[in-house]
Amino acid sequence: MLLQRIFAAALLLVSLSLALMAWPYQAAFSYEPVGPRAYPLLMLGLMGLGLMYLILRPTPIQHSDEEPPLDRATLIKIGLCVALLLVFAGTFESLGFILASMLVGIPMARLYGGRWLPGALIITLMSISLYLLFDKLMDVPLPLGLLDILEN
Amino acid sequence: MDTLGYLGQGFGVALSPYNLVTALCGTLIGTVVGLLPGLGPINGVALLIPIAFALGLPPESALILLAAVYLGCEYGGRISSILLNIPGEASTVMTTLDGYPMARQGMAGVALSLSAWSSFIGAFIATCGMVLFAPLLAKWAIAFGPAEYFVLMVFAIVCLGGMAGERPLKTFIAALIGLFLSCVGIDANSGVYRFTGDNIHLTDGIQFVVLVLGLFSISEILLLLEKTHRGQEAVKATGRMMFNFKEAASVFVVNIRCGLLGFIMGVLPGAGATLASAVAYMTEKRLAGTSGTFGQGDKRGLAAPETAIGASACGALVPMLTLGVPGSGTTAVMIGALSLYNITPGPLLFQQQPDIVWGLIASLFIANIMLVILNIPMIRLFTRILAVPNWALVPVIAIITAIGVYAVHATTFDLFLMVGIGIFGYILRKLDFPLSPVLLGFILGGLMEQNLRRALSISNGALEILWSSPITFGVWVLTAIMLLVPLLRIWRKRSAQRRIPANA
Repeated sequence: MLLQRIFAAALLLVSLSLALMAWPYQAAFSYEPVGPRAYPLLMLGLMGLGLMYLILRPTPIQHSDEEPPLDRATLIKIGLCVALLLVFAGTFESLGFILASMLVGIPMARLYGGRWLPGALIITLMSISLYLLFDKLMDVPLPLGLLDILEN
Repeated sequence: MDTLGYLGQGFGVALSPYNLVTALCGTLIGTVVGLLPGLGPINGVALLIPIAFALGLPPESALILLAAVYLGCEYGGRISSILLNIPGEASTVMTTLDGYPMARQGMAGVALSLSAWSSFIGAFIATCGMVLFAPLLAKWAIAFGPAEYFVLMVFAIVCLGGMAGERPLKTFIAALIGLFLSCVGIDANSGVYRFTGDNIHLTDGIQFVVLVLGLFSISEILLLLEKTHRGQEAVKATGRMMFNFKEAASVFVVNIRCGLLGFIMGVLPGAGATLASAVAYMTEKRLAGTSGTFGQGDKRGLAAPETAIGASACGALVPMLTLGVPGSGTTAVMIGALSLYNITPGPLLFQQQPDIVWGLIASLFIANIMLVILNIPMIRLFTRILAVPNWALVPVIAIITAIGVYAVHATTFDLFLMVGIGIFGYILRKLDFPLSPVLLGFILGGLMEQNLRRALSISNGALEILWSSPITFGVWVLTAIMLLVPLLRIWRKRSAQRRIPANA
């Protein structure tokens, strides 16, 4: 309940600031009666109304049985996973696809309960074969990054 | 009877060897994707969009591929429901109720093939319905102007909330988030940059593939982290694989009834497969009365939801093709795919590009037949896929998702945005907000704004145009009814609650 209120309040603040941001949006000259400002303001306004109601009367969250309550350990895991994904996004181009997915994929396999060796083996294999599959076979260009030297 | 002529032409397109292979690949990929935890029809279809584009598939083949994947996913979802008692997607929850008990009684093979058969009949009924009604609807929809479209989209969004059951308010908020996100980027009419924060990568708006994969794949990856169970034992599919004639005949009436029901639910925006399967199961349970053994492996309890899912998956394509207004998350993704090819679905599509429309409809028939045939010999392979542990699966899903996002624009900004959207999606999920309204809102948002502005340009700013024509007025009345449904439901629940303590 409390979490929900906090989230709704935060979202309300965000939509308020977005509305402020949208306020100056006006076309220099315009051929149409409705400018670029009306629609986003309408959406933000409706969202704000809904969120205010949610803050006043949050609806109870139904948990399914297999969903354990969030404890500290899971939160740390989720934080780690997000960090890994961000590292992946950051190194995707500089390290290249194969190295970046190995760098991120192997610890990720560990995070989901795999052991180091089989995890490393599978992820290495998969990174290389996915690269070949997409870049060579399916014409989806992927960055080679550091491995660029091997190409020539 | 031009319809039959067009359908013949469509079969000509779909039966070309190239498109047949495409459909076969699509059904296989779809089944595997539907089988795996963490991937459903929405991310399956979304992942394939950039790849189909990169492969240089012609539009009709791409559409056939995506439709085959869509059907395959609905199919694959059932395998884990029946053998593991874990529904692959929300829509197959009802399948577990009688499918898993059947598998426990040593009828796993029969349960699988019977469910495949049921889903085939459902899809067949719905495809026939589509052949009958889609051209009519398209002909009628040609008269629609921007005001009518705007009102129709409002109706679609409101329907979503009205059908959502427990949490209409959260559904509305989720849809509004999507509607809002669609206006990030440069405004096509005036050239004003909206909400870009001077970021050059946002000029084009948020890429739709990025939103879908972030919202569905990344949040699912984070969600899988919490699930503690792993390596669950699947029921071995041994013994007779094929259902016999008597079993098929015993559920035939159920198939027909639930197929019709599923088709109607599929056409209605916002209802979709999840609701259709639930309603079908409940209806059949009530109709069977005491003669049924529902919940303990009744064949009718297996056939009912499966038929409805098959039918509604095809039915959902009707509003998408004829009106260009998607009614479900998956069809919203398909609209996004079409717009990559510069195809705007809608009534004109039937006149201008009949090859695409009828080729798609014909390939639905073919994909359904393929799925029934595939299901029987491949089942052992599919059960082996179920045994892949999460630790090997999740990193690979993450990597493939990143490839899908990168393939669109080849910028790492999109990857960061995807992670951000994924975290947001995860929070929404934890707080019990449904995600597919966000997606639907995102797709409808752009269309909705354009139509609203066009309508008001026509009327020179007078708002009356939004409700003056009989069609708009009628749709507003329907919208009002849909708005009242959740209120009525809440009110009835409250009064029921009040009655219980009064009796005690």
